Amino acid sequence: MSHKAEAMATETTQAEEQQSEQAANRSYAAQVLREAFTQWGARFGLFWIAVLAAVAVFAPMLANSHPLLVSENSIISSPMLRYMTIGDFTLLAIFFTVVILLFVRIRFYKKVITLFATGLITTIIAFMLVSPPQLTVYDQYRAKQAAGDYDWVIHAPIPYSPKDYIRDAGDTGLEAPLKAVTATGDVALRTHWFGTEENGSDVLSRMIHASRIALGIGFVATGIAMLIGIIIGGLMGFFSGAIDMIGMRLVEIFEAVPTLFLLLTFVAFFDRSLYVMMVIIGITSWPGYARFVRAEFLRLRQQEFVQAATACGLPLRSILFRHMLPNGIAPILVAASFGVASAILAEATLSFLGLGLVDDPSWGQMLNQAVQSSTFNWWMALFPGGAIFLTVFAYNLMGEALRDAIDPNLKKSAG
Amino acid sequence: MLLQVENLKTHLRAGKNIVKAVDGISFHIDRGEIFCLVGESGSGKSITALSVIQLIPQDICSHPDGRVFFQCGDLNGNGSGERETLDMLTLAEDKKRQVCGARIAMIFQEPMTSLNPVFTIGDQIIEVLQIHWPEMNDEEARRRAIAALEQVQIPNPEVRVDEYPHRLSGGQRQRVMIAMAMACEPDLLIADEPTTALDVTVQAEILRLMKALQARTGMSILFITHDFGVVAKMADRVAVMRRGKIVETGTLDQVLHQPQHDYTKQLLAALPENLKRQRDLQLVESPLPKATSENKIDEPPLIDLQQLEVYFPIKKGLFRHTVDHVKAVDGVDLKIPKGQLLALVGESGCGKTTLGRAILRLVDATAGTISFKQQNITQLQRKEMIPFRRDMQIIFQDPMSSLNPRMTIVSTLIEPMAVHGIGESKDERIEIARQILQRVQLDGDHLWRYPHEFSGGQRQRIGLARALVLNPQFIVCDEVTSALDVSVQAEVLQLLMELRAEKNLTLLFITHDISVVEYVSDEMAVMHGGKIVERGPTDDICRNPQQEYTQNLLSAVPRLVL
Repeated sequence: MSHKAEAMATETTQAEEQQSEQAANRSYAAQVLREAFTQWGARFGLFWIAVLAAVAVFAPMLANSHPLLVSENSIISSPMLRYMTIGDFTLLAIFFTVVILLFVRIRFYKKVITLFATGLITTIIAFMLVSPPQLTVYDQYRAKQAAGDYDWVIHAPIPYSPKDYIRDAGDTGLEAPLKAVTATGDVALRTHWFGTEENGSDVLSRMIHASRIALGIGFVATGIAMLIGIIIGGLMGFFSGAIDMIGMRLVEIFEAVPTLFLLLTFVAFFDRSLYVMMVIIGITSWPGYARFVRAEFLRLRQQEFVQAATACGLPLRSILFRHMLPNGIAPILVAASFGVASAILAEATLSFLGLGLVDDPSWGQMLNQAVQSSTFNWWMALFPGGAIFLTVFAYNLMGEALRDAIDPNLKKSAG
Repeated sequence: MLLQVENLKTHLRAGKNIVKAVDGISFHIDRGEIFCLVGESGSGKSITALSVIQLIPQDICSHPDGRVFFQCGDLNGNGSGERETLDMLTLAEDKKRQVCGARIAMIFQEPMTSLNPVFTIGDQIIEVLQIHWPEMNDEEARRRAIAALEQVQIPNPEVRVDEYPHRLSGGQRQRVMIAMAMACEPDLLIADEPTTALDVTVQAEILRLMKALQARTGMSILFITHDFGVVAKMADRVAVMRRGKIVETGTLDQVLHQPQHDYTKQLLAALPENLKRQRDLQLVESPLPKATSENKIDEPPLIDLQQLEVYFPIKKGLFRHTVDHVKAVDGVDLKIPKGQLLALVGESGCGKTTLGRAILRLVDATAGTISFKQQNITQLQRKEMIPFRRDMQIIFQDPMSSLNPRMTIVSTLIEPMAVHGIGESKDERIEIARQILQRVQLDGDHLWRYPHEFSGGQRQRIGLARALVLNPQFIVCDEVTSALDVSVQAEVLQLLMELRAEKNLTLLFITHDISVVEYVSDEMAVMHGGKIVERGPTDDICRNPQQEYTQNLLSAVPRLVL
């Protein structure tokens, strides 16, 4: 039947020609992305991730007990800026660089270099210039505002920091969404869109700040895994033979490591650090990518354009990274989008078990709080749980769309 | 009249576009005749066959017009001999199933994938028999399956009936496919390029077999092919298809010798046999200096292979120890003088491609020496090879996979130039690339496009351009035209000939197509089982082959006697 399919394919090329005329000068990557993101599922996924990324970057402006701007005795100041951390500044700088780079037409590797350079430079500058005060008293603003010390004040849309514990405002810390009361039982002026948790801090604010952890762990852990996987898998695939043999054994060893238990052990004995988690998830999940890259490179090595590149005497570096990698990267990107989802889930699981970060809020840890409370507080389970669900779902949708877009067989049967 | 197709239109839906794959064709097939449908790829000949037997998925295809009448005899198998005329396009699904397989059977191009690998060939034939004759018991079915295999000359049919498809060669599989199609003694056999994937000697056997079966059972055959040699051997009547329309119908003699339509004339003129005749005529009129190989006989050869061996280990067992070797190239001595075009001919699996790649050190030689310009390059390291790479290039068979799909043509062309220091600046290299692209008859603006925007013939020209940018002395052409249609093949071959004369190139032309060899080459070498069995001037070998293998090979080539 293969001939039939071929015959049909050649006959449909007439139709494709018109499309390809429009597609002239458009690269393969651009085409795949275009195709993937014409599906509504992928569009939804991309939209949700974009919203989440924006929320994570602008978290200090969105949810903060420090007012954005105050005028006290005609002196205008910004407590929000004063309390911004090094991480906040770096994130902002990277975000704006990405946005600018999206519209600048330079080579891809130059973009990557620019991005890393910006991140590094802002971190160094922020280290030297930024020193947020150690002690924060959130109540001071509320007290001063009540006393009328401010001429005027601009609050963040959600005027509560994630660690702004207003325990004694109500009778308990817990308040259902939009049902804040004062200690005497009157309707309070405070609005908590998603309610508060048992210490009285705002759930929405905590969720906004926790989105950083979710996105960060997803990207960094997957990035580490991809980097290791591509290098080891690429070498295995290109050289095969003894290198392949050693590499595959290494892959098998790492595949046998139970990531979750390793994480539990590390967290139990050492510091609970986000970075340690990222690294552990990263270095235990590279074998999957290495397998993909190896298979792709084994296939590509036989391809005639790679042979032609060798016959032209091109250096090994160029053959590996210019000719082979771009042709083999597509399935890895698909795997990566699923990988991000599973890294987020791993962190959530860990936090849910109470072994996550101690102080910083994360979605899994918030779910844990919901379970530990003596009464079932639906808002503490629904919102963080929904956020985890939507994010993982969004990544899976995008992964699926990408996979469909790069698979020529699926395309044929669909067309 | 067995099959009557009237103004058939088949439209395929590809996304939002509608492709008129078959655009209003009419023909008929009488009982007991072989009707050939000839055309280049994309002409709609396969879709026509699939429309007749209704095998195209309903959701992508529609028939806005036309009727296909099939005069079906004896559907119920009760021997009443009554015939009814059915319109295949409007036939109900269950009736269609009865007709297909029993009264109309089909065989496909690719024997490797058309048999189910998890069933024995006997089971697959028996299944067909029992579906169409449900009352047939197992023993009777098995007996008929063996008879069917015997009919297609499978040796030892009683034993082979229980074998799995992977134990059979390509030719044997195609025989099994024919046996399966013939098991129910159909009135019409549709054969869609049944020999295209086979070697010439096997092709000759299959064609002979089909002709003999047809003569004995009196069935009709709708034979689809692109090869005029095969047409000349098989057809009673011929129809030439182009872009979904039949441009010419007639008896074999009429179409081949008095073609009426311009397209038929073009197709026939593009056949390598005819190209050679034209060239010979020109040579008689204006005798050019004879091929360069003769007057430079004293010069040392450009390429000198001595006892070259390339073995691939077969590894087995737990510790992957080597149990045996596949001797792809098994002791080849070959000298190619400067300026010669040597054609290397052989059937698939004879090691000709491996030999070509071994000369360029793309495959490592197991033993023997390769000398280029009297320098031994057999053991050179990757880095040491780089200066030689500039002088030795290769052009590949498959136009789809020979260009990097993620790189524009310009980056494909200028990267090797940069490595070898050709051209001072990037702009200069782009200018060189543009000139070379124009030299292979492509538009200079094509530099900025990606490979998927080109047709097969254009890609093959780009492959040629990539070989030429380094200004090499020696090029291996590995089956460069076998994936192309005849008319495109003729253009590419003519271009190659021009370039060769212009740049005094030495070419090793690897092919399985004897008629191409006769057209292009001065000297040919015949390869079989990793060894070179015969070598000499092309005309001598073709007229008077000395070795038995060469004789068999040449006699199996379907020729167009004009």
